[in-house]
Amino acid sequence: MAGITPDQIITAVVAVVGVPLVLLGYIILGEQVIEKLPDRIQEWIRPYFWALPAVGFATIFMIYPLIRTVIISFRNSADTDWIGWANYQYFFTFPDTLTSLRNSLLWLVFYTFFAVFFGLVIAILVDRVRYETIAKIAVFLPVPISAVAASIIWKFMFDYQPSGTTQTGTLNALLSVVHRDPVAWLVNSTTNNAALIFVGIWTATGFCMVIISASLKAISSEVLEAARIDGANEFQIVRLVVTPLLWPTITVVGTTMLINALKTFDIVYVMTNGAYNTDVIATQMFSQLQHSHFGRAAAVGVVLFLAVVPLLVVNIRRFQQQEEQR
Amino acid sequence: MSAERVTIRQATGVAGAVSILDRFGYRLQRLPLHLVIIIFCAVWVIPTIGMMINSFRALPDMQAAGWWTTLFPPHGFTFASYQQVLAIEGVVPSIGYSILITIPATVIQLAIATMGAYAFAWMNFPGRNLFFIVIVGLMVVPIQMTLIPVLQFFKFVHLSGTIPAVWLAHSGYGLPFEVFLLRNYLGGLPREIFESAEVDGAGHSVRFLRIAVPMTLPAIASLVIFVFLGIWNDLLVALTYLGVSPYRPFTVVIAQLTTSFGGGWQFLTAAAVMQMALPLAVFIFLQRYFVRGVTAGSVKG
Amino acid sequence: MAEVLARRRSRVVALSLGALFVLAACGGGGGSSGGGGASSTDVTVWTAWGSAELKAFQDVLKPFEASSGIKVHLTTNRDYAAQIVNGIQAGTDLPDIAPGPSDPNQVKDQVSKGALKPIETALGDQFSAYVQNTYPALTTPPAGASDDLYIAVVGGKHYEEMVKTQVKGLIWYNKKVFTGQAPTTFDQLLAINPSQYGASKLFCAGFESGAASGWPASDQIDNIIMRQSGDQAYTSWIQGKTKFSSSAIKQGYQTFLKEVSAANVFGGANTVLSTNFGKAGDPMFKSPAGCLFLEQATFITSFFQQDFPSLNLKAGTDFDFFAHPSMGNSQYDGNVNGFYDNFSMYNDTPAARKLMQYMVSKDAQQIWANDGGTLGSNKSLTYTDPVFKRAADVAGSAKNLLVTAGDYMPSDMQAAFWKSLLNVTNNPGSLDSELAHLDQVQAVAYKSS
Repeated sequence: MAGITPDQIITAVVAVVGVPLVLLGYIILGEQVIEKLPDRIQEWIRPYFWALPAVGFATIFMIYPLIRTVIISFRNSADTDWIGWANYQYFFTFPDTLTSLRNSLLWLVFYTFFAVFFGLVIAILVDRVRYETIAKIAVFLPVPISAVAASIIWKFMFDYQPSGTTQTGTLNALLSVVHRDPVAWLVNSTTNNAALIFVGIWTATGFCMVIISASLKAISSEVLEAARIDGANEFQIVRLVVTPLLWPTITVVGTTMLINALKTFDIVYVMTNGAYNTDVIATQMFSQLQHSHFGRAAAVGVVLFLAVVPLLVVNIRRFQQQEEQR
Repeated sequence: MSAERVTIRQATGVAGAVSILDRFGYRLQRLPLHLVIIIFCAVWVIPTIGMMINSFRALPDMQAAGWWTTLFPPHGFTFASYQQVLAIEGVVPSIGYSILITIPATVIQLAIATMGAYAFAWMNFPGRNLFFIVIVGLMVVPIQMTLIPVLQFFKFVHLSGTIPAVWLAHSGYGLPFEVFLLRNYLGGLPREIFESAEVDGAGHSVRFLRIAVPMTLPAIASLVIFVFLGIWNDLLVALTYLGVSPYRPFTVVIAQLTTSFGGGWQFLTAAAVMQMALPLAVFIFLQRYFVRGVTAGSVKG
Repeated sequence: MAEVLARRRSRVVALSLGALFVLAACGGGGGSSGGGGASSTDVTVWTAWGSAELKAFQDVLKPFEASSGIKVHLTTNRDYAAQIVNGIQAGTDLPDIAPGPSDPNQVKDQVSKGALKPIETALGDQFSAYVQNTYPALTTPPAGASDDLYIAVVGGKHYEEMVKTQVKGLIWYNKKVFTGQAPTTFDQLLAINPSQYGASKLFCAGFESGAASGWPASDQIDNIIMRQSGDQAYTSWIQGKTKFSSSAIKQGYQTFLKEVSAANVFGGANTVLSTNFGKAGDPMFKSPAGCLFLEQATFITSFFQQDFPSLNLKAGTDFDFFAHPSMGNSQYDGNVNGFYDNFSMYNDTPAARKLMQYMVSKDAQQIWANDGGTLGSNKSLTYTDPVFKRAADVAGSAKNLLVTAGDYMPSDMQAAFWKSLLNVTNNPGSLDSELAHLDQVQAVAYKSS
């Protein structure tokens, strides 16, 4: 296998230095030209000019392929005939795909709720102790880890040995300490979805916590003091004062988590590959691709996209409100 | 003694006793708080530590007993797994390729995203909202859907199987999220600063370069970390566009290290630890910027 | 102030234009894609092999590179099949040599697109020697047929060359534990009492294999069906012409369930489903022994040895196998389950041809045999390992060397098939609903959409 050639290093350095410089030149030169144009034309042309690189990239790598994908979803896999809604029909009637839909729903609800809830709880609790920083680092640690590494970590935690033999998995070892039978977490249908979703929650909570914590710190202490003087106890303060104030942040974080839940792939793929009814939409799509069912895979992708549109509408509305306040 | 003095002495005594009880009671009340926090920390930290410990064990040991047994003698620590991974042909260069892929890809997409976000945030044009919805909607499109058209595109521009192709692909896939975040952040900057600069005769390029960008640096800094780690940890994009090229990054090589029938945990622990090392180091040393940036971008309004 | 700004601006402009030129120049030069073209000095090979198999292949390649001066660029890629399919669709570069597709639809498709090149061309005048020296079942379509998609014979031409073989469905045991006589029928096998030999259960099994979990289960059921219902029924089932809910296949499932029942298998369903196939046999070598038998293919021997380095397990003295017992229909006893590794040529270059010719030469084949853990495709190799010597006999004397069913079904059928085996092992009561579901999948999967 080749080692790294000087050629490649030079290209990389040129890219790192050159691209920003080129963009700089693009902006400066471009503006010099634009400013010479009559005002009305300026107003019209300038935004497109500035947004061009970003929009260009998005078009080539995402918009055009997406359109192609929507088209493919109405054609057969060999791309020779139109077959109308057949792929979508398959998706909504076949047991396999329906299971993946159900599981994605489970992820949507539980992953999102608990990641945000735990993030909120931890943020509020650690705010009151002196070792706050260390605790926050501990909970945040899983976030920069790749999903694949996290899956490996938890595969060891969930490891199963026959009952009566030494347990190598941490969870089953704990069970054996209290004299209970080991559980095959990833195989047993009652526990496996919960196990996978928990791994997802484990990787995401730190993210939610950090963002909520920053918001929390921004709440003025006077408000809290006033509530305390009024006789509210800590629980009431959290419920009636803090949470409402944090609500905007919670929605931002919640929306991000919802999107993540729909996109979940790595964890399920590495830990169970969707076996024993743990399939989710993204893994289902991957299998369709592997079997060269491009049309069906495309249909799944489109459904996924449509599921996200409401979330985006919410985000856009929020942004518009934000703008009005400016 | 007068009744008053007795009362005062009694009162002080009782008050003293009450205050000790008070403090003790306060600590006792705090016990559940500490307990809950410690349990959370344990659940969030111990699994990772367990795997790291496992990476320093020999395979037969790993299959015989859990990682906690190494805490007691005989410890059985060994670098065998690491040595094996590093000795495999192509592993060490692949770490270099990971770096060669990650840094330029990060720089390219952030430069472009910042420009684009500025336009979406501060310029009014028809179709702006629609465009924005579309760009942000793309954040959810699974990458698998874009594979074949993009592969064809690379062949068309003679970039198949090259590292620059992966730079472009990552940029294309990452831009939506970055434009989203940066627009939110840029949109939150005070309008007055831009307006007064405009009154002073500063054109858009000056306003962008000398006002918007410097003020956005916290968000950009944190994005740099997010994006960098995202590309470092990426498997799918590299696998697709570099899967069989000699320029594969570390993640792809690890994924391909298992036997053709699956299994081979041993490799995965040591390799996973090595792969995790960089992100963890980045996080530990740049943690403050990371957190500051992350929150600055989201805590507006 | 404005002047200063203007001057700085122009400096930046100049710098960035310069950068643009440099970028363009360098971009043209460096980072060119990996080679193609009709090379006589380099050849690219993709395989899915890792670990021991990869090492064996590298051993095979070394003398070739040394004597021919041709450089082999070997890449291990578990997803090579999907990448090749994508590559053919997108028109991108393909490797010179890679394993051929196992999905018969893919074989037909790739041959019709001209992606696969005939072995007759690759081997030239060595082709007839190749056919003569290889196990006949691997190169000859069944009597009367001109084509056989399972061995990639299309339009009378061959598109895959066979390089390694395995025999499956062998019953392995620890010679120090099971000292009885090898049963000849399945009923006799089931009647053996493990505690007589100090073991807790009759069978061990392990079906976990990452994304491919379930394939060892399919091996077990294949070996049952081919002996219970015969090769014709077996082939018709692979081709999707026999339903899963038919009596033959259902009977196969029911017999399979006996092998993995809680009474017969070590650790019950949970263990079977959570244990990786490579570790499945470990309980045989522990004391007390967890089980007597493991059904697996010839490659499992190296797994036994690597898991117990301190025991220094030797083939023939410590462990051995007996052939899969009869299911009661003697006319089907000659059906043996095997599989083979193969290579196809995607780019016809002089260097690729040379490598294809080398890989089926006696020298290369013998290296594979010597490295252990596999049979070559060549009939007349010498095996020092007593186990492999006997396995070669089994392969040679088989009436029909039948392929692994799942491998030759459309890929989504195979995936559903594997999953169904995992599900019924987990929950035997779900057999009927699983079979009904498989019928549903079968109805759609064999249509070429």
